[in-house]
Amino acid sequence: MKQKEFLTTVMPFKDKLYRLAKRLLVSGDEAEDAVQEVFLKLWKGKQQMKNYKNPEAFAMTMTKNYCLDRLKSKQAGNMKIVHSNYQNHENLEKKIEVEDGVSLVFSIMETLPEQQKMILQLRDVEQFEFAEIAEILNSNETAIRVALSRARKTVREALIKQYNYGIN
Amino acid sequence: MELINIERLLDSYFEGTTTLADEQALRNYFSGGEVAEHLVVYKPLFTGLQQARQEVSQSEFSLPTETGSNSKWWYGIAALLVVGLTIGSLFLSQPELTSEEREALAALEQTREAMLLLSANFNKGAEELGYLNEFTKGTATMKHINEFSESKNKILK
Repeated sequence: MKQKEFLTTVMPFKDKLYRLAKRLLVSGDEAEDAVQEVFLKLWKGKQQMKNYKNPEAFAMTMTKNYCLDRLKSKQAGNMKIVHSNYQNHENLEKKIEVEDGVSLVFSIMETLPEQQKMILQLRDVEQFEFAEIAEILNSNETAIRVALSRARKTVREALIKQYNYGIN
Repeated sequence: MELINIERLLDSYFEGTTTLADEQALRNYFSGGEVAEHLVVYKPLFTGLQQARQEVSQSEFSLPTETGSNSKWWYGIAALLVVGLTIGSLFLSQPELTSEEREALAALEQTREAMLLLSANFNKGAEELGYLNEFTKGTATMKHINEFSESKNKILK
């Protein structure tokens, strides 16, 4: 596989890899590093890439594994990033409130377990089919649906809580 | 889309039973201007998820080191092949050519010897032909015999 051919295969899902990595690693720089790393690995193993019927899903799985490894080594160093965008909603205008609500959604997502975080990212942001998500996460569709429902409900509860807090 | 449908879709959404098309319908509804008052709370969720999809990687991906080492590796192979082929052809082609040449040379040598032998004998034969001159000399002296017979004839007359 030539370099050009490789890039045309791989480039369409570069941003998806980046977003998944960023969802997990939070830091944009680290997410960029993750994408580079995954692409290099794919390039080294490019001969096998032809054998995968879905290179995108394969690349997503690699990204997932890379990020989870990174998180594991980070947790060992006890570096947990906590985002707190919850405060000071009361006196803001409605539009800004919605924007804050958007970032609120992501801070809620950050509190989710990794698996749910990834499923929410893959389904509600990247709009993958359940079968693809199951392939990427090496799971089954039922388990994916259950975890997705759980993740969505957690986000809903937090949103309602915050919304009521903003109104009162 | 009717509000009742949206509410129904929302319920299935949180149960994880909506299709991608259903979810797109929900996103469309919430990104539109008119969102029912009691559903406004969900607006940031759907607009946020849609916004999240716009985020793109900023860094350019390139394969400089990989291609460099890769092509160098190929250059090495190519150079090795050239050297190997030259040496190989030298070793392999030489005995092949000489065996043919040897035959040809041997044949040439044999013919040359045969020719030399032939020409040597031929020259010997030619030398022997020199005695013919002696013979002509002999015939020249025989003219004296004619003279003798002339004088003899005169006497007899």
